[in-house]
Amino acid sequence: MADGASGSADKSVQVKLVLLGEAAVGKSSVVLRFVSNEFQPNKEPTIGAAFLTQKCRLEDRILRYEIWDTAGQERFHSLAPMYYRNAQAAVVVYDVTKASSLEKAKSWVKELQRQANPNIVIALAGNKVDLVQSSASSLSAASPPDSEDEADDATATPGETPGATGGEPESLRQVPREEAQAYATEAGLLFFETSAKTGEGIVDIFTEIAKKIPIEHILAATRGNTGRSGGGASRAEGTRQSGVNLEEDAVKGKDACNC
Amino acid sequence: MSTISTALRHFKEPTKEQLTQIFFSLPALEYGDDAEKSGGQDVSKMDINAVLSLGEAEDSYAGKLHIMPPYLAFSSLDKKSVRFTIPLSTIRRVERLNARAGVYALSLLTWHGMKIIVQLTSLRPTADLFCSLLRDALKVELQRGQMKLVKNFVKTCYSEVLISDPSNAAENEREDGSLISEGKAGASQGISYHGGLGLRFKFPGDPKKLREASKIKLWTTYLKSHGRNLTLLRYPQCTRLVQVGLPNRLRGEMWETLSGSIYLRFSNPGYYERLLEENKGKTNISTDDIEKDLHRSLPEYAGYQSEEGISSLRRVLRAYSYMNPELGYCQAMNILAAAILIYMSEEQAFWLLEVLCGRLLPGYYAPSMHGTLLDQRVFESLVQRYLPIIHDHFQVVDVQLSVASLPWFLSLYINSMPMVFAFRIVDCFLCMGPKVLFQVGLAILKINGEQLLQIQDDGGFLNLMRDYFASLGDSAHPQSSDPRARAITVFQELLLVSFREFSVITEEIILSERRRFRGEIIHSIESFAKRGAVRNLRTLGRFHKEQAGLIYDALYKAMCIVPPPPTAAPVPTLFTTGEGHEEKPETRIGLRTFRQFLSEIATWARDEKIVMNGFQQRIERVVAEHEFIDRLFYFWDTGCHGALSFQDLISGLDGVMFNDLMENIEWFFNLHDKNKDGYLTKDEVLTLSESFLFIFRYEVGDAYLGAVSRFMTNAFEYGDALLPPPASDSGLTDNEPSSPPPIASNQPYLNLPTFRMVVLADEVLESFFETDLSESFKLHPLPEMELPVSNSGILGDLWSSIATDQNKKMFNMFTDEIGKTIGKHQVVNKPSIGRYTKLEEPKARESLLTPTLRKSLSKASLTTSSSSTLAPSSLPSLSVNTTLEPSTKSLPNVPDSGSLSAIPMLQAVNAAALMERTPFAIDDAKDDEDEDDDGFLGDNDHDDEVMDEVDAFLEAHDSGLTDADKAVANDLLHAEPLK
Repeated sequence: MADGASGSADKSVQVKLVLLGEAAVGKSSVVLRFVSNEFQPNKEPTIGAAFLTQKCRLEDRILRYEIWDTAGQERFHSLAPMYYRNAQAAVVVYDVTKASSLEKAKSWVKELQRQANPNIVIALAGNKVDLVQSSASSLSAASPPDSEDEADDATATPGETPGATGGEPESLRQVPREEAQAYATEAGLLFFETSAKTGEGIVDIFTEIAKKIPIEHILAATRGNTGRSGGGASRAEGTRQSGVNLEEDAVKGKDACNC
Repeated sequence: MSTISTALRHFKEPTKEQLTQIFFSLPALEYGDDAEKSGGQDVSKMDINAVLSLGEAEDSYAGKLHIMPPYLAFSSLDKKSVRFTIPLSTIRRVERLNARAGVYALSLLTWHGMKIIVQLTSLRPTADLFCSLLRDALKVELQRGQMKLVKNFVKTCYSEVLISDPSNAAENEREDGSLISEGKAGASQGISYHGGLGLRFKFPGDPKKLREASKIKLWTTYLKSHGRNLTLLRYPQCTRLVQVGLPNRLRGEMWETLSGSIYLRFSNPGYYERLLEENKGKTNISTDDIEKDLHRSLPEYAGYQSEEGISSLRRVLRAYSYMNPELGYCQAMNILAAAILIYMSEEQAFWLLEVLCGRLLPGYYAPSMHGTLLDQRVFESLVQRYLPIIHDHFQVVDVQLSVASLPWFLSLYINSMPMVFAFRIVDCFLCMGPKVLFQVGLAILKINGEQLLQIQDDGGFLNLMRDYFASLGDSAHPQSSDPRARAITVFQELLLVSFREFSVITEEIILSERRRFRGEIIHSIESFAKRGAVRNLRTLGRFHKEQAGLIYDALYKAMCIVPPPPTAAPVPTLFTTGEGHEEKPETRIGLRTFRQFLSEIATWARDEKIVMNGFQQRIERVVAEHEFIDRLFYFWDTGCHGALSFQDLISGLDGVMFNDLMENIEWFFNLHDKNKDGYLTKDEVLTLSESFLFIFRYEVGDAYLGAVSRFMTNAFEYGDALLPPPASDSGLTDNEPSSPPPIASNQPYLNLPTFRMVVLADEVLESFFETDLSESFKLHPLPEMELPVSNSGILGDLWSSIATDQNKKMFNMFTDEIGKTIGKHQVVNKPSIGRYTKLEEPKARESLLTPTLRKSLSKASLTTSSSSTLAPSSLPSLSVNTTLEPSTKSLPNVPDSGSLSAIPMLQAVNAAALMERTPFAIDDAKDDEDEDDDGFLGDNDHDDEVMDEVDAFLEAHDSGLTDADKAVANDLLHAEPLK
């Protein structure tokens, strides 16, 4: 574990985030893309939930995401409350090439809105968008975060068929962007189409969540707890500017804690 | 949409006999001949007190010998020192020994010449009976040809190679280079024995560090004198050898022997291959899920980077899902299967997986994962009891134990620890049972107690655990000046704490804790499912969530009482919904369950008798059956599935419970308008009248009967009058004797406006449609349903036999009889609507037609036994001097807080921060060699050192014999057989 001392420097804010969604929509890939886990080319299987952390900077704040990547198999559903309780953010993932996965996503959103923390920030992510784009457009849209780290396939859920981008890619799409967007707006969710494979939209999710999270609220709530395990090395507090910085930090994985 | 399962309610505690079977790892009687055997059991089963002796090297042990054809099993009195389970077909000869007077002893000779001596210490007739059972059972085995199979079967076992050709197998296996000798052995033997991927892709870990050769040598010695594979006798040494870690090449076979899966493989030859063959190419949800996980199962192991390993894994997991489609496939099974396939052949792994999922980890991988949840709850309660400070801290900082411990249990630590260590835990788990998982879990927490008290959240907890698992190979005492102490690894310390300090965690504790929490877990799973089902409804209609919940409860109760047909899967998909959405499986109920459901909700859908007999007043409820209810069922089945989903019920009830007068009239009309053409036929008018009569069947007085009669009169008169050509101009009635044109009984006859008019002409019917119909549907909380009786112990048995429904009925009948005798017995049918409690006759509205009651019309049998009072019968009075307590519903909770708190030994130690390490036996041992320097060459002296580690775990073994008994037993070793 790099940087084992969990960040409790002055302005570090801990955000618990949970990933939910049907099996094989690419939850783990989304996290791995974000966290850039370069030490583990083969990811460990998700039993119950995998736990990862990633730090990012937003304006002058350091956010420390504690990410719970849950198992997607239906029978693990009953364990999910254990992971989303107290979560401040959730990313609900579906697969743009599989209509039923949006239905499942909707049901997760419903559940979160009724059972989870009332202030939870929920983002809806339509993953595998690379499958429905011509390669040219995906390149332009993508902002590949960690180019040198790992082969793209390492994060792809087995069964995902990246090769299928040829031909008529749009025909693979089962969930129109507009439909999902409309639903997200109606339900009050952040919405992105993403590709864990190309990196498109991944960082944006976490950036937008970071912006939307009531940080002061969290700080106030956890103030009592800070100061424990205080070994956090002083972080380079560059004078960078807002959203971009967060992206760059994530890209370089400078502060990444791949535990 | 989700499925609703009542499966958890069907749980039954194992019977004593089943517990014995489980203890001896016997296969449950399935795979075919279940039905026969369960009928005629016990005849051939028997147990008897016995003393077991085996050569001079081992002590004799007193215990119980069981004959459970086709197995013979023994367990020492303490249930842990010595035991065996051997198939009768491996026994070649049984002789009565010539011994001192009064001693009844048998010598059993196995196929490989091992002589087991059992002295039957029960009374003579019992011993004789036992012998004759044994003789018969052996004869049966001979006739079945099982004896011949043994020789071929054992060829598949590596131990036979070890025994027969130790030079080839053991000596050549160096501490360092096991693979080289493997090549030779394989070539010369032609590899007839089963083995895992490890033979090709290497076993995890460094064979030298693992001291493979020493372990193999020790095992060879043990197996030579104590039997092997099918005939293994488990003496204390066996457990000790398991605790230091099984040698890689023997591991697979020992796993199946210790777990008992070997008996399944032995008794079901060819089953695995057939299963795969029969289901070749079959795909379903499970196989899809399996496919997704194949490359995520121990991906770091070389074997799973090759197609060979992947396809083995695929076959084993698929075969299991074919055999047990209800369970199918659950994530984590891939890890288990991948792990055991390193050491076992596919067939061996398949059967071990069956034992794991079925017996050792019950319910862990079931669709509801109730076993996992239950054991997590049990674990939490054990932590609370034995490590209260840690537990309290977790409570304070709101950390959930399960976030870390759930994968421990679900993947047998394989997913959490480095494989070499996890496999040693698996060794112990398969040898000593599920309690090992709990012991290790507690030890992990205890050892890390000090740091655990520092953590503040789930994340910190997980990180700490991850660091700890990463350090398992390190020295536990790096600072120690004693090299032997330095050599002790963190992992060894973990096992030591597990088995020594948490030896109080016994199988019985686990079982009783499971009993204690089962109800709670079932309840929480069910209420979780309920919330989900309500949330996932497409529409709630006009119901609140709470009301929908009540409807769900009624549905759930109905499903418990009348389970829907099991094969709800292949719904005729003529009507594919939506645009190619895959239909998710959804629970639907059939007509019979629907009747039960409706009887919970609609007052007229049940017959309620109020019975008073002077002692008690009770309501007897019977589900009513009537065409009206069936009609409703099909009316609500809008998707034409022939079955109703929860959503259908909600929508259906929504269609009637919120209606006003006009809507209700229309609803009732539509319900009876079968072809939905807006007209009722004459037949339908009659049916509708019958529906009225059905609903009103228990109303007091004649009002309703009269109303229905008037309705029919009016309906037919209006109908006739308004027949087409629709001369329905102004005049409601030209009471002319124009003979009604003949109309077939199945022709359109009465339309809605006319029907409405007829209904409104009657005060009773009007008020029925205005309020009573809607109000006859009542949603009220159901009393908490009783969980399946846990018949634990005598008390439980007693209760379950008292509190059965049967006995309640008996009791009721009994009091009824008395009631009748003393003239207090009275039965009143409770009316469904109950508007008129007195016998009053509401007047009909001024009738537009002749108010003649055409009795002739009453095709319906007007049996309205509204209130029947049974005359006291003059039966011979029964003497009432037995005090029968009314069977209350509360079943005794398994009382165990007392029995468990009797072991507070560890409470003192639980200040984990101050953990005092118990001195290792190894610490005291003579310090003849520095182990760190790898100068190990496999001498005999060093072989013994392998065992040093385990001496620390040693528990006292009690042979249960006095010296005199031992002398007798020893004599027997040399006794001559009688003829």
